[in-house]
Amino acid sequence: MANQKTILRIVLAWIVTVTGLHLWLNFDWASFLNDFRPEAERRLNVAYIPVT
Amino acid sequence: MFQGFPEIKEALISNRMQAGFLVAPMAIALRSQGVPIKIVYLGHRYGSAAVVRKDGPIRTPDDLKGRTIAIPNRFSDERLMTDLVLRKHGLSEKDVHMVEMAPPDVASALAANAIDMFTMGEPYPSQAEMGGFGRILFFAKEYWPDYMSCVLVVRQDVIDRRPAAVQLLVDGIARSGMWLDEGRPHREYAAEFVGRYYFRQPPALLRWALTKPLDRVMYSPLTPLKKDFDMVNDLMVNAGLIPRKLAFEDYVDASFAEGTQGLSPWIFNPGDSIAH
Repeated sequence: MANQKTILRIVLAWIVTVTGLHLWLNFDWASFLNDFRPEAERRLNVAYIPVT
Repeated sequence: MFQGFPEIKEALISNRMQAGFLVAPMAIALRSQGVPIKIVYLGHRYGSAAVVRKDGPIRTPDDLKGRTIAIPNRFSDERLMTDLVLRKHGLSEKDVHMVEMAPPDVASALAANAIDMFTMGEPYPSQAEMGGFGRILFFAKEYWPDYMSCVLVVRQDVIDRRPAAVQLLVDGIARSGMWLDEGRPHREYAAEFVGRYYFRQPPALLRWALTKPLDRVMYSPLTPLKKDFDMVNDLMVNAGLIPRKLAFEDYVDASFAEGTQGLSPWIFNPGDSIAH
């Protein structure tokens, strides 16, 4: 029983750590928050490809 | 950053993107299908070329009969330009095998002998030249003076509701273009930071594309002109891409380009953190 709780804690800690790192390193917060700004203050999203 | 024009088209239609750079014929075709967008500015002048294998048998466009030619999209200026060149040399699209290919794939396809020629925007012609396996057969401007390809397209609802934001965007592009056309040092500096932070491409490749020669790609004048778009429209009708010619005002809003009159190039030197 004690072993099961330890494993559960490790798994939860792993999930929280990976999720936190993902939100910190990979998630585009600027783009996400932009959608919640008033329209007049919102940045335009401009699409391009790396070619002339 | 996207990897192909069809994805940009979908992002504009779904309003995930409010503006984007599209090849001009695709923008006109979308407008002809009723998509509420307008062309407000050009992305550049020139900048497309046809590339063949350096040691291959194609020496002039007359040698293209029966060959496989890669283009970025059937709704592209590169396709229309290839069609124009073929006709000037007594050939037609029926005499060649034209395939659509994502721009980043064409240089390796040429190197692997999967295609005989590609017609594409920079930096892919430069990539084939730098790699030592490609040779420019012709630059677009040799057959199409004042050639243009990518245009800035904006959703109509954004134009109606946020004209100041659109003008700010167009002004920035205009001033960047003037800054680039001030000479080699600015182009070399742009190759460094655009390659590293925007395009994720080797700066040496962009340096080649922007400086060999200096007018390989030009960034002024970028005002959309009726005579240029009339030519694209006519070529599109000839190629069967649209049923009939569209009125210039139906797909271009030139007011933002007019708003750039009197602007000066950015003041931006190596080491500066912000342009003025």
